[in-house]
Amino acid sequence: MAGETLIEVKNLKKYFKVPTGMNHAVDDVSFTINRGETLGVVGESGCGKSTLGRTIIRLQDATDGQVLLHGEDVTTVTGKKLKQVREKMQIIFQDPYSSLNPRMRIESTVKEPLRLSGRFHSKAELQEETERLMNLVGIDKRLRASFPHELDGGRRQRVGIARALALNPEFVVCDEPVSALDVSIQAQVLNLLIDLQEQMGLAYMFVTHDLSVVRHISDHICVMYLGQLVEKAPTKEIFENHLHPYTAALLSAIPSTDIFKPMQRVRLNGEITSPINPKPGCRFAARCPYATEACSQPQELKEVGKDHFVACCRVKEIN
Amino acid sequence: MSEKNTFLSVKDLEVIYTSGKKTVKAVNGVSFNLEKGRTLGLVGETGAGKTTIAKSILRILPDPPAKLVGGKIYLEGKEINSLSEDEMRTIRGGKIAMIFQDPMTALNPLMTVGDQIVEVLLLHNKYSTQEAKNEAVKMLEMVGIPGERYIEYPHQFSGGMKQRVVIAMALTCNPVLLLADEPTTALDVTIQAQVLELINELKQKYSTSMILITHDLGVIAQTCDDVAVIYAGKIVEMGSKADIFLHPTHPYTQGLFASLPSMTDHADRLTPIPGMPPDPTRLPEGCAFHPRCKYATEKCKSGSVPAMELTPGHFCCCYNNTAKEVS
Repeated sequence: MAGETLIEVKNLKKYFKVPTGMNHAVDDVSFTINRGETLGVVGESGCGKSTLGRTIIRLQDATDGQVLLHGEDVTTVTGKKLKQVREKMQIIFQDPYSSLNPRMRIESTVKEPLRLSGRFHSKAELQEETERLMNLVGIDKRLRASFPHELDGGRRQRVGIARALALNPEFVVCDEPVSALDVSIQAQVLNLLIDLQEQMGLAYMFVTHDLSVVRHISDHICVMYLGQLVEKAPTKEIFENHLHPYTAALLSAIPSTDIFKPMQRVRLNGEITSPINPKPGCRFAARCPYATEACSQPQELKEVGKDHFVACCRVKEIN
Repeated sequence: MSEKNTFLSVKDLEVIYTSGKKTVKAVNGVSFNLEKGRTLGLVGETGAGKTTIAKSILRILPDPPAKLVGGKIYLEGKEINSLSEDEMRTIRGGKIAMIFQDPMTALNPLMTVGDQIVEVLLLHNKYSTQEAKNEAVKMLEMVGIPGERYIEYPHQFSGGMKQRVVIAMALTCNPVLLLADEPTTALDVTIQAQVLELINELKQKYSTSMILITHDLGVIAQTCDDVAVIYAGKIVEMGSKADIFLHPTHPYTQGLFASLPSMTDHADRLTPIPGMPPDPTRLPEGCAFHPRCKYATEKCKSGSVPAMELTPGHFCCCYNNTAKEVS
């Protein structure tokens, strides 16, 4: 079943109106995700990676573009149909501290989507399914009646995962699911996500700014800068043969745990600029060491190798 | 080594937090020395007591609930935890400065960034207001912020720039000791790299000693000389950077390294440390790590485990002290 296209995002745009103009949070993003695979989305804070995830699963309506689930556009569906679509697309939120209702016992939190789905006809069935889910994510029986504040971050995130998987989704957006956790707990949760993917054939879109995590879990990686994709390639290719100057800078900025390898950082001056009313042309040009006149023209994502796309007009000259 | 000759010496530090009838042992007998111009990294998980150690050196722990119940702190041979509050005020921000974790909350939102730096300068030096202002502009420029932004408020700056303002404030009186509490955790990697580079440059220029608190082993590898690994309020392993990164010995240190996703090879599964960090109100008897440790024996379950010196300067609190060689 793997290899079959599950999600296809076509020229997706999400703009927000702000007092000073239009915030181009997601600007013309396209990609596909196959069943059972993980697409990693990386970028700095404010580059639109969370907005992208939330727009795909219809937590927000897209400004323009299409999201195809099994070939069917979901950006315009409403009513009953939307409810069906939502059962197939779920999200795990970044912060397990604020994404759980503090006044609900965790058992009720997991049970709620099951109850709302109307798939279960007796209380016993409902309870059985709830317990199956809690076992699946490894929450002890004795903790089921606890409130979120009684649990640590790792366990809370497990509750968030159980809730997301309650209705057997096919596609899950993982929005920085481990960034609030300590490393030893982070490894436990990542292993759980990988196991669940294998068992259930899930497709993940894994949004993160932690490049070592994304390398570990992804099949393909998209690098985002100010709402646009600048590079897209299989994971190995991104780490070994990246072509966009921003990808190079981003990767070189990770502090290595190898004490004999001092950081050879590509120096980026300045910070991410404002996504409000951006000029046409490459949005990275202001920080790019290779920028020239040509960079003020709009950049297109072009295939430069097998499955390897880059949006940079100077890609041939600088590599 | 005598604490008189060492630059900073912390001896048997013990801090508790009380809440109702519960007592949390946040720091349980921490001792370390720091030489002039060197950087000590404190690593450990949330709640391990890293920030509490730094705050007790600067004596800014809220009392109650926090209480320093034991231990001595010497700075340049002088015991500083018996100083009066007035004397401590002259040291704070002057000789010892701290960079806080969250630049969003460390700055006063109602004061311009320039005035916040001037405040520090006027408190510790005999400057006129104009001199202090000029100095503040110089400090802002040193951390890469244009001087004309002196009159701007914190909300007009991005996260990375705010953190640079906090760094400028900390360095403005040329402290001899800098306590950096997760200075880059709230920042993006590219900005983190800029800030770490800046701290390193300034540290070399003024030969400031530094204690860097972080849970990011990559940051430690790139900035520290010595490393202390903290678990449940205790230093479980301490040594030079090479000791810790190449010969991690304590099972907890080894576990930390094993649970990092590797940037060089691709393993299918990570090896997490089983279990959870202990509840600090009910720390396990004996070695606090024993319930999660695969080498634990009966001996580990009672009494405190003494620190053993494996090679000169490399200490480890574990009976099973065979180093794991890392190539």
